[in-house]
Amino acid sequence: MTAAVMTDRPAAYTPPVHYKLSAAGLLRSEWTKLWSLRSTWIVLLCAVVFSAGLGALIASSVPSDQALGGAGAALDFSMAGIALASVFVAVLGILTVTGEYSTGSIRSTMSAAPKRVPVLWAKAAVYGAVVAVLFGVMVFLTFFMTQAIFSGTDLGGVSLADEGVLRALLGYAAMIVYLALLALGIGSILRNSAGSIGFYIGVIMILPQLATLLPWNWVAEVTPYAPGNVPNTLLLVDPTGANLSVGESWLWMGIWLVVTYGLAGVLLKRRDV
Amino acid sequence: MIEIEHLTKRYGKKTAVDDLTFTVKPGVVTGFLGPNGAGKSTTMRAIVGLDAPTSGLARVNGRHYSEFRSPLTEVGALLEAKSVHAGRSAYKHLLALARTHGIPKRRVTEVIDLVGLHEVAGKRVGGFSLGMGQRLGIAVALLGDPAVLILDEPVNGLDPDGVKWIRLLLKGLAAEGRTVFLSSHLMSELAQTAEHLVVIGQGRLLADTTVDAFVSGNGQARVRVVSPDAARLAESLAGPGISVASPERGVLEVTGTEAAVVGQTAAAHGLVLHELRTDRGSLEDAFMQLTADAVEYRQTSEGANR
Repeated sequence: MTAAVMTDRPAAYTPPVHYKLSAAGLLRSEWTKLWSLRSTWIVLLCAVVFSAGLGALIASSVPSDQALGGAGAALDFSMAGIALASVFVAVLGILTVTGEYSTGSIRSTMSAAPKRVPVLWAKAAVYGAVVAVLFGVMVFLTFFMTQAIFSGTDLGGVSLADEGVLRALLGYAAMIVYLALLALGIGSILRNSAGSIGFYIGVIMILPQLATLLPWNWVAEVTPYAPGNVPNTLLLVDPTGANLSVGESWLWMGIWLVVTYGLAGVLLKRRDV
Repeated sequence: MIEIEHLTKRYGKKTAVDDLTFTVKPGVVTGFLGPNGAGKSTTMRAIVGLDAPTSGLARVNGRHYSEFRSPLTEVGALLEAKSVHAGRSAYKHLLALARTHGIPKRRVTEVIDLVGLHEVAGKRVGGFSLGMGQRLGIAVALLGDPAVLILDEPVNGLDPDGVKWIRLLLKGLAAEGRTVFLSSHLMSELAQTAEHLVVIGQGRLLADTTVDAFVSGNGQARVRVVSPDAARLAESLAGPGISVASPERGVLEVTGTEAAVVGQTAAAHGLVLHELRTDRGSLEDAFMQLTADAVEYRQTSEGANR
């Protein structure tokens, strides 16, 4: 190129230098995205109302001559709503990913963060943290509320200081966070809202229950290790005699998350957006 | 600067882009032209790393897009119009993208004002018209004040005011030394905005040239004359290399000469002219001529039976 031609063209443009893509930026971005959708507020509100409301409703309808007293039974009744809330939380976890694919906003997201996989970490971290805080609070709120209702019955008088109670309550919070993350990972693998929700409800929630009805012994041996079943031990005030020990329960939750996110990460990197 | 080198992209058996090589230079608006399905969008998606090439390379300023530490300041892209969650407001969509790069809220407001979405910025995008969606897409592309702009059919759905506005905007951005690359299947659109043209058909490069060269190379200028003495004028104009056609009574279309010559001839013979005009060989004609063999979907006359 000659000098004469060079002068025809304006000086090279230099873009702003102080804007940088960062992990903190991705976290803040996912936070903004999560709370800027009406569906987030509605679904989380439903989850909160169901976990507390159902707990209170069930607690107040338990007959006062309930034969099975004790902390374990008390928690089973109080936390019934948490199991339902986990479905809401899982569905929202799926939607945080699949909603981006169905609307096309994933193209904006991945253009801003072309390495892609950090987006998945940011989504999981933000959503996991939100669920952990929310249900960390909800589990204890529901516990104290239902204990107030139970007071004077065989199910009342359970204290956080009682053997295993605190661990079981934290177990409920851990379970819901685990299921939220598992669902988000499934959403990232399947990329389709209906497919992911169907898979979650069918394969993660219902299949392990049906499996116990099957005539083969090995199925019964395997079902405790199914992704939807592994947190169960954590919910028990007295875990002796459970299929998995508390440690194994944590281990398997970790294994399933690593498997899910490993696959999600590889696929995210390889597939076109 | 965008460099496309032997880019090939197949989706299953279908080849969307076939061994494409070209360069888009900074400082001018480069138009990317081709019929629907020619591979324009695929090429643009490959540049920003959304599609992985089957083979070949797409680089921006010498690097693959994913290697940039601040992708949004390197390349701003408007791809499919709605790359936005319908339930999110325009402001929050831009803010979420801005936060990935630590771009301040001030810049978000700035681009919203720039594209004229100030009044609807807080509304959910699901209710936006096509034109508003395009404006938001343009705001996204401009957010990082990038060195390279890639816009896929940016004028789609814009009203005439909007079309004029984006033309001026893009020319201004190119004049600042940025690389501006925009696609269209409408020739007339690019003729008024772009200086340079890359033309593809069925995923293959058909032309990589300036707009002027493209038109003069592929279409001919034509002089249109309206005269009550059309028949006599046609006789007087006749000569080697000049052809005269009369599409209707009193109207001549002359190729092979210039309007000035036609006017002088008429004056010399004392003939009255009502109209004398040069039709620049339309870009449309040039385009049709070039892509005649490269159109993927063509309606056939017996189309109803197929």
